[in-house]
Amino acid sequence: MKYKSIDMGSYNLHLIKTKKFKTITVKINFRNKIHKEDITVRNLLTDLLTHSTKNYKTKKELVIKTQDLYAINLTAGNTRLGDHINTEFTLSCLNDKYTEKDNFSNSLEFFSEVIFNPNVENKEFNHEVFDLIYDNAKTSLTGIKENSSYYSLIRCLENMDPTSPMSYRMVGYLSDLESTTPKSIYEYYENMIKKDRVDISVIGDFNTKEMEQSIKKYFKFNTYKKKVKIKTLKSDKKIIRKKIIKEQENNKQSKLAIGCRIQPLKPFERNYTLTLYSLILGGFADSKLFNEVREKSSLVYYINSIPNKLDNTLLIRAGISKENFDKAIKLIEKQLTLMKKGDFTEEDITKAVQIYKNSLEEIEENPSYLMEAYYLMDLIGIDDLDTRRIKINEVTKDDIIKVAKKIKIDTIYLLEGDES
Amino acid sequence: MKKVELAGLEKTVFYEKLENGLDIYMIPYDDKKNYYISYATRFGSITTEFTPEGKKRQIKVPNGVAHFLEHKMFENENRESPFVFGSKYGTGYNAMTSFDSTQYICYGTKYFLENLEFLLSFVNEPYFTDENVEKEKGIIAEELKMHEDIAETVLEDKLREITYKNHPRRIDIGGSVEDIQKITKEDLYNCYNTFYKPNNMFLLIVGSFNKNEALKTIKDTLNNYENHKSGTIIQKKYKEPDSVFKKEETITKNIQIPKVGVALKINKDKLKFKDDFKLDLYLQMLLSTMFGISSDFRETLREEKLFNSFYTSMESADNFRVLQFVSETNEPDKFINYLKKSIKEIEVKEEDLNRIKKVWIANEVKMIDIIDNTVYNQYDDILKYGNVIPDKIDIIRSLNKKEIDKIIKNINLNNIAVVKMLPNK
Repeated sequence: MKYKSIDMGSYNLHLIKTKKFKTITVKINFRNKIHKEDITVRNLLTDLLTHSTKNYKTKKELVIKTQDLYAINLTAGNTRLGDHINTEFTLSCLNDKYTEKDNFSNSLEFFSEVIFNPNVENKEFNHEVFDLIYDNAKTSLTGIKENSSYYSLIRCLENMDPTSPMSYRMVGYLSDLESTTPKSIYEYYENMIKKDRVDISVIGDFNTKEMEQSIKKYFKFNTYKKKVKIKTLKSDKKIIRKKIIKEQENNKQSKLAIGCRIQPLKPFERNYTLTLYSLILGGFADSKLFNEVREKSSLVYYINSIPNKLDNTLLIRAGISKENFDKAIKLIEKQLTLMKKGDFTEEDITKAVQIYKNSLEEIEENPSYLMEAYYLMDLIGIDDLDTRRIKINEVTKDDIIKVAKKIKIDTIYLLEGDES
Repeated sequence: MKKVELAGLEKTVFYEKLENGLDIYMIPYDDKKNYYISYATRFGSITTEFTPEGKKRQIKVPNGVAHFLEHKMFENENRESPFVFGSKYGTGYNAMTSFDSTQYICYGTKYFLENLEFLLSFVNEPYFTDENVEKEKGIIAEELKMHEDIAETVLEDKLREITYKNHPRRIDIGGSVEDIQKITKEDLYNCYNTFYKPNNMFLLIVGSFNKNEALKTIKDTLNNYENHKSGTIIQKKYKEPDSVFKKEETITKNIQIPKVGVALKINKDKLKFKDDFKLDLYLQMLLSTMFGISSDFRETLREEKLFNSFYTSMESADNFRVLQFVSETNEPDKFINYLKKSIKEIEVKEEDLNRIKKVWIANEVKMIDIIDNTVYNQYDDILKYGNVIPDKIDIIRSLNKKEIDKIIKNINLNNIAVVKMLPNK
């Protein structure tokens, strides 16, 4: 595998050459500071762009085109990285070896059409298409409570800090949807193309020089963009008293979401120690939470902890019966305390390291994971895969205890069902 | 070992049938670091009435027993649990129960032989006690409740309940919270001793490993289990009528957007088409061309704003094939009428057929590139057709309008069941 990063002036091009895959995958990332009111607009925009274009006026025509190109996959979506919003377009295409000459090149041309030649008339998105996408978004946002697991998570974060980006709903908001028009969203689109920071990544088996030329040919961004580093969210907010919040919903199972804050971490702690801490606490099937709350007490089917190192948060989630709330909380809090006291073994650490190393190798077998790994290396300054494999061994038990002491529960949220 | 080339995919399946009857399929990759092992029994939720091994009378075990048994296989008397073992080696262990099979899986990048041995061993060492059976009930009850909160799952369950009259597919895989309370360790042993027999099981290994070493480890490990011999399986046969059990039903749930499920029930014997694999391809072709993302049907739904989401699937139950359509829509009645009308007017166009063939062939190539996908793909074929399908791409190429037209002509397009799910407030 060979990695090359090329400064193309208006964007960075990341080429990962490998014979591992029969496909070539291309990702285009647009990135900017996140504003709450932009999320809904960006979601609409990615839906609009992947629905139709100037030359492929309907979804049907667009899909038929993708099928004719030997079933290319074309997807788009928005995520939040710390204080930034990241819009990602992905094209996955079989290598010409398995299709026919120029199929990749034609796919790239089509990809460029999707991004640069939207279904627009007089600087407004086509009204019929807009209506349709708008309606679909409205229905989805109206039904947000149907996904009780996701809903409990966002309610937990909103109770932790309603003003911080960590609590922004990435599905968007009905109120922002209502103020969006075919005109306003086109203006937004133009701005995004002009002002966002852009990265293009390609992975697969190709000739590096030729690939650079093809990308240059089909993706022309005109403006020079200054590099903006992604910032982690502030974590200096003091927790005065932990909040316990319960809301009712007519579901069978109650969903528990516990939001913890993490005091400022050093880069090594953030990238390595925190990962091992969370694995031991609730990151795999032999973790403390899994063993104590599920295997020994039969209170849950699933329970896990996930750290967000850019947000300085750790989230613990489980599905429980409402009458077991107190029991479950007591057990979970006990595990957090035991981690602080160093009540875990060297063997626990070795296991967590194995899981971590295994996940690094899984990354190498999946084109999408690999691209993300390289993208984040550049973006938030994390180490490359080989360095990570070595550095993870340096984490000591004392390091983990130190991190454990920086983690405190801020909010305990229960979306309470009506069955016990 | 028998060599079977997967034509057009640059991969070889190495097949071996052990003396005890176990089928082994191995697909080695020399350019991957990871591996994925699936050890499966052809025993799933639909089998609850059978004659236990060594006994004479047929018994009925509670619904959900196959899934319960799957959970309890992770408990061992003389060795650590797969979760603990896997954590030590950085490998993942899991298991899945479906209507007609239960599989135990292991995936990782290192210590292949150790993990292969462990997987085979723990699945061959049942250890059920009154105490550990009791303990599992709380965990599984939470799992079932979690599923009951997912609207699509409830809708699909209801749809099967009114599609089938007698076939146990009408019962949810996990059973109900009440069903599982009745399960005892005797139930589990009866099922285990009858269905976890080598001639009822298969082993599928894909990824980075050496096939000769693997085969040796399999033989050595299974030699430790002397009782592990093939048995005869006698289970209840169900007489299922051709027509759907009920034509329509409306249910309510804590949802905001109405949902609709539609099933077209087909007795495949009436289609007079001999090749099961090809017939299934044709029925899926019918779904893709007529109701897939590039169909006129969807385009009209979009124009009329009749749906928010929509997906189709096909399931097999003995000699029945059921085409399922599930949608989220603000206009359930309009949607149902339009779908019914479209089903009645099914006619596959040649150009659509040819385009979808191209898509399917491309997808086969893409799937073989990712180990997990290869496992899912081959597992389905082995389970359904009793073997891997080496010339799948050629068969896809051979699909034609003449044959699909003939099949469609023989389908009773009015044999439809409909479930409407409406918000309960």
